[in-house]
Amino acid sequence: MRDKLLTATAALAGIMLVWNLKIILTVLPDEVAQGAIYRIMFFHIPGFFTAGVCYIVAMLASIYYLWKKDLRADALAMAATEVALPFAAVNLITGMIWGRIIWGIWWAWDPRLTWALISWLVYFGYLMLRKAIDDPSERANISAVANIFFFSSVAITWKAIVWWRTQHPGPVLSIRGADGKLDAGVERMIYQNWIPLLLLAIVFISIRIRQERALRELDAMRRWAHAG
Amino acid sequence: MDERNFTYMFYGFSVAWGIIALYAIGLLRRQSNINSQVESLKKMVDGKR
Amino acid sequence: MIRFFRLSFAIAAKDIQSEWRTKEALNSACSFSIVVLLMFSFAFDPGAESTKEFAGGLLWLVFMFAGSLIVNRSFSRELPNDCLDVLIASPVPPAALFLGKAFACFVLLMIIELISIPVFGIFYNITWWRQPAWLAVALGLTTWAMSVIGSLFSALTVNLRLRELMLPMLLYPMLIPALMGAIRLTSLALANEPIAGEDLVWLKVLVAFDIIFTSLSLALVDFVLVR
Repeated sequence: MRDKLLTATAALAGIMLVWNLKIILTVLPDEVAQGAIYRIMFFHIPGFFTAGVCYIVAMLASIYYLWKKDLRADALAMAATEVALPFAAVNLITGMIWGRIIWGIWWAWDPRLTWALISWLVYFGYLMLRKAIDDPSERANISAVANIFFFSSVAITWKAIVWWRTQHPGPVLSIRGADGKLDAGVERMIYQNWIPLLLLAIVFISIRIRQERALRELDAMRRWAHAG
Repeated sequence: MDERNFTYMFYGFSVAWGIIALYAIGLLRRQSNINSQVESLKKMVDGKR
Repeated sequence: MIRFFRLSFAIAAKDIQSEWRTKEALNSACSFSIVVLLMFSFAFDPGAESTKEFAGGLLWLVFMFAGSLIVNRSFSRELPNDCLDVLIASPVPPAALFLGKAFACFVLLMIIELISIPVFGIFYNITWWRQPAWLAVALGLTTWAMSVIGSLFSALTVNLRLRELMLPMLLYPMLIPALMGAIRLTSLALANEPIAGEDLVWLKVLVAFDIIFTSLSLALVDFVLVR
């Protein structure tokens, strides 16, 4: 049952992505200054949003773990962090491709870009930290504390375009108080393309959690088999 | 559609799809690895019996 | 409350005293920072006028590199003879233990910085004492940030394989906000330019960073130091 639900969700996400691609390429209006390249933002922004949701989930799961000492919360924090990384990579790399055209350079060291990269690196460090600890409850404890600290970099990334005058464009979405900077259809499309990415993230996270549980059970079974 | 910068837009879209697809493939490979481990363990346990 | 601070000062005094007897980390960190200063002189022309513009950044990179040697020792110094387990089992609350460690780190880092700055001034031909108050403020606030986050991550990574590698990898990115402020303020102080207007924001960033991460560390350290 769970398997079928996950497959159906993934399939739905796939269909939505293809459908959105068709609308993005054929229906939506062009941008006067940028040409076709502006369409990258339909992956750039939802990619960051998806990663951001995963980071938030990981942070909340870490707090919950420290509170209740529930190892399932630890597994959720790990899975959410790991799934966040590919989506954050989508955000970073599509942004670089956009920058190559619009700014003429692949990378600008402005606070927004820098902090998006820092977030990626510290969460990658979080996964490495987990690999370096063997005892499950010690690993959960330490990585939960580290995860809560690392979330500060996500918060700074989110606020960077407000705090500094960055080379990265300032707020354009109406949820951040920038009404009318984007065409309504374009803005709707950003959210519409976020939904399938979010669905995919949920599928990935649940698969990852199940794998982690399977590995734990496998370990226990192996110990039992060798002992018996 | 405005054709300017179309190639780079194409690169961007392929990167976005590609990274997600790569991650999914990695997940599935890890799953099959786990499944095969379970299989071999089962065989081992059955052989002992 | 007074007991809490007495205990943490006892821990700090113990750490500083044992470090002072061997001078293991102090010597190596000091010589390391001088070596790094020497290496930087090959990367660019140390006599050039432009050097003054990034003097602050240079100085803080040196402090970061040398500082990771100090904070790394903060908790791992207790590993031989299972001292750490005894400390955790003792009636000292984890927060007091952590605060004591951070104080000790602060003092040791300050010693290294106060030795490195004159050396830096000589090698790079910089008159660094023209705005001593601002320099002291930047040094103090940022060194405290380094000590607090460094001690916490030292506690996190103390039992790890590859501890020496993991600590800087986790520590440096976390310190970047404080470092940005420190570099800006230090550069201005070294160049004898007035610190006012927009640059005062960096002072606020440093103060906020210290307050937020000190309280976060004190709140979370109970979960780290358990056996």
